[in-house]
Amino acid sequence: MKRRSFLNWGTAGLVALWSAVGVSLGAVVRFLTPSVFYEPPQTFKIGNPADFSFGPPTFLAEEKIFVFHDRVKGFAVASAVCTHLGCTVGYFQNDERFHCPCHGSVFAADGAVQHGPAPRPLEWFEVTLARDGQLRVDKDRAVPASYRLMV
Amino acid sequence: MSTDKGKSELVFLNVWLHIHPAKVKKENLRVRHTFYLGFITFYLFLILVTTGVALMFYYRPHPPQAYQDMKDLQFVVYLGSFLRNMHRWAAHGMVICVFLHMCRVFYTGSYKRPRQFNWVIGVVLFLLTLGLSFTGYLLPWDQLAFWAITVGTNIGSYAPLVGARIRELLLGGHSVGESALLRFYVLHVAVLPAVVTLLTMVHFWRVRKDGGLSRPVWKLKEETSTQLVTIGPPDAGVPLAVVPASKDKTYGLMEVVTGKPIFETVSMEEEEDTVFSYPYAFFREGVALLATVTTVMAVSLFWQAPLEELANPVKTPNPAKAPWYFLGLQELVSHSALLGGVIVPTLAVLALIAIPYIDPNPSRRPADRKWAIRAFTLFVVVNVVLIIVGTLFRGPGWAFVPPWAHIAGAE
Amino acid sequence: MERRIPQFFFALSLIALALMLAAVWQAAAPEWKAYQQQFHRLEAVGEPNAAAKSEVLNASLVVRQDLLPGLQRVDRCTTCHLGVEDPTMKSALQPFTFHPNLTPHVPARFGCTVCHGGQGLATDRRNAHGEVAFWQEPLLPKEYIRASCGRCHKEGDVPGVPELTEGRRLFETQGCRGCHKLNGVGGSIGPDLTEEGAVRRSPNWLERHFLDPNTVSRKSPMPNFHFTKEQARALTFYMLSLTSEQMATYYSSVRLIPSAGYGRQLFVEKNCIVCHNIGGVGAKSGPDLLGVAKQHSAGWLDEQLVNPELVYPGSTMPAYDLETNARKAIIAFMDSATAEDAQSILSRRARPLTAQDAAIEAGKQSFARFGCVGCHGLQLQGGVPNPNSQGGEVPSLLHASDDYTKEEVIKIIRNGKAPPLENPAKPAPPLYMPSWKSVLADEDVNRIADYLWSLQKKKESW
Repeated sequence: MKRRSFLNWGTAGLVALWSAVGVSLGAVVRFLTPSVFYEPPQTFKIGNPADFSFGPPTFLAEEKIFVFHDRVKGFAVASAVCTHLGCTVGYFQNDERFHCPCHGSVFAADGAVQHGPAPRPLEWFEVTLARDGQLRVDKDRAVPASYRLMV
Repeated sequence: MSTDKGKSELVFLNVWLHIHPAKVKKENLRVRHTFYLGFITFYLFLILVTTGVALMFYYRPHPPQAYQDMKDLQFVVYLGSFLRNMHRWAAHGMVICVFLHMCRVFYTGSYKRPRQFNWVIGVVLFLLTLGLSFTGYLLPWDQLAFWAITVGTNIGSYAPLVGARIRELLLGGHSVGESALLRFYVLHVAVLPAVVTLLTMVHFWRVRKDGGLSRPVWKLKEETSTQLVTIGPPDAGVPLAVVPASKDKTYGLMEVVTGKPIFETVSMEEEEDTVFSYPYAFFREGVALLATVTTVMAVSLFWQAPLEELANPVKTPNPAKAPWYFLGLQELVSHSALLGGVIVPTLAVLALIAIPYIDPNPSRRPADRKWAIRAFTLFVVVNVVLIIVGTLFRGPGWAFVPPWAHIAGAE
Repeated sequence: MERRIPQFFFALSLIALALMLAAVWQAAAPEWKAYQQQFHRLEAVGEPNAAAKSEVLNASLVVRQDLLPGLQRVDRCTTCHLGVEDPTMKSALQPFTFHPNLTPHVPARFGCTVCHGGQGLATDRRNAHGEVAFWQEPLLPKEYIRASCGRCHKEGDVPGVPELTEGRRLFETQGCRGCHKLNGVGGSIGPDLTEEGAVRRSPNWLERHFLDPNTVSRKSPMPNFHFTKEQARALTFYMLSLTSEQMATYYSSVRLIPSAGYGRQLFVEKNCIVCHNIGGVGAKSGPDLLGVAKQHSAGWLDEQLVNPELVYPGSTMPAYDLETNARKAIIAFMDSATAEDAQSILSRRARPLTAQDAAIEAGKQSFARFGCVGCHGLQLQGGVPNPNSQGGEVPSLLHASDDYTKEEVIKIIRNGKAPPLENPAKPAPPLYMPSWKSVLADEDVNRIADYLWSLQKKKESW
């Protein structure tokens, strides 16, 4: 039996096999990537624009966001999660800033870090108007601090 | 790999391959000698381990989340239903192939000396395979799973003295529930696979130690069983044994060095009938692997593994059937619990284990073993018939209902 | 043969690769993705400009699910039914049609299957609609969907579902319990109906059964009640609602539909009239409630009901443990209550209103709230065993005025009391009267004493 023919078929077979292995590896990674999340959703509705008062932001505890409703400029939604190590910050009306109770980070009203160990400003999330008239927040989409939704 | 030395080194210097001999006898590579059943069983086991580990990422062994996870695998996980199908069909395949492998070993008389102990290991591996299949059967936590295991553990409880205790240990309680699911899960993913792996290692090692694969049966015609060879240490007066001449290769040198000679090395007369493992054996094994994998994949693409409704302890399906490989047992039990469920199966297993030790006939030629072959064939046929009856001919209430009969009024 | 082996190897490798690609293709093109793409095209039509259109058309295709741990469900219906909350989809074809009258039962909070049936975990049509073997809850036909309201709203009228009310009424009046158990009460001749809605989800079967039992249940001893079609339907609705739905607190607390009528019921039950008046009719110790719903926001009123001290520190109004919808009902009643309502409530009272009633009612509320009934009993009868105390049990409070003065009782409540021992050699009794002065304000203690005194029974005269 000629070795060369043996090896050619064999080599071609190995090539096909290794391609199959390559496909499998991709499939394995995709398999392990979750398609659904057993967590609260990243996109959710928070209610009608009229439900949100002007002035100090409304804090939604479960969703960990602050909803700003400016009479002139419209809506903005800020994350309530401190960028240092993840504690929930509080908004203080008297000095109009966010304070984190864990390590003392202080954020200005636009989220910029003024004080403390926080490395980045507070995140702002995209808020849009859904077709049924409710406000919809998408935590997967970050927007600049100047973003406003005019309603 | 172009020189003989290179081909040999490829085998014995490689951690994955060195269980093989550097050279194998060409006749052992013939498909109709072993049908590669041992390899196929092993490959199915590898498929089961791989798909099993993948499934573990999405399965929680706690009711009722277990059932929800099965649904998630079916509907939401990428390739979830494909992997689950592969796991299920490979499992059934492994039970069938390990049984066929046992039949092949029997029919070729390859359990005879010096391979008796390996046969015993094989029987234990067979029982462990059934155990793996049984423990895995419960995990989907649907009606099929729940009641099959209820029936299965109840059959086991008929064993005298220890039956009830074993059932209690298996279930972690009085009936199938959370504890049973967790225990079966641990057995299925950790304990039994570890034991099977260890015993498989011993099983493979023993194949080498016992002289590699046995000679094909059709080659045995050439030998006369009257030709005897005396063996023993070279300078002793009394020989250790006088046995029929065999062309099987043995490795006696190690024992001689330790002072416990068993066999002397017998010279290889068929040097020209051996070929290098690489590439001859490896490519054939590769083909067997691919054939196994592609078959399992093809079946998994087209046939869905069953998933019935959520397990409901208060609603018993009628009939409630054990997994198919235990249906023969359930059929026996339906006639007599103690005799059919305990005594007969126990005797059957003990008889299986004892075969190499109670069989005095040293010949492997079929012509010399007619009664052994007839007895074993009877055993196989009875098993298959019992399973067929249990699967196809038993309806509600375990009444005898041929599969072509219409069950009127079934809701 | 030798030539063949590598050829087999190659062929099988190709087959393996092909099968793998087939599996990947099967996994990459599930039914729902096509629906989502179709919906995006539909949405793009309504977008104003090309940029917006392209953004919609390229939106990612993901499985959407509503996680409902409180209902123990996971509903993925909105993966395909993308237009349920989009009013612009009113005239779209299914599965994209807009769902009218959704609020307050939005999918994010309630999912879909609790009303419609089906298999929420599934992501293809046949499985999701439950039209497969081994799924016991297929989609309910359109005309029966409202029966699902009864799964949660088990008491009171459900607006829009008169069939439920009628069905419940028929059940109680036609003697069904004579043969059928429901929630533990009834006969054993027929099957237990407590879970009938979970066991039998075929409205067709149920209706035919009510019209003539023997057509679906041969040799059934159930007599033919000759129900009309409407009555059979009403009973079917009721049966479909009988599931033992496991619900977390949120759902239980909003189960009762807040209506002004229910609010009035609560107003009477909680004796609000003993402190408040409506338009001057009633007691004068609390404020006039006429038009209060127009003076304060619903949120403010709700807060007042939950924690009166927060809004008015020092208020004598007790804190009632009322569920969310119960509070909403009371506020709804406040919105429409008039002096005539107050008059009719007053006239139905067993005794006329006195100045003491406010204090007594507050005391009664404190008595319940701080757990006094745990030892002293709901009817103040005592009787809880207390080994080695004199009398062997917690004393009844109905004759307290015979043995103590009011001031002594007030002192006992404030300072506590160890019960006198029956046998000093034996260990002390396990139960004793704790000291409440650090928990209760003096006014609260006084009101409790007033409450106790209002219930005293006089010793029979010799």
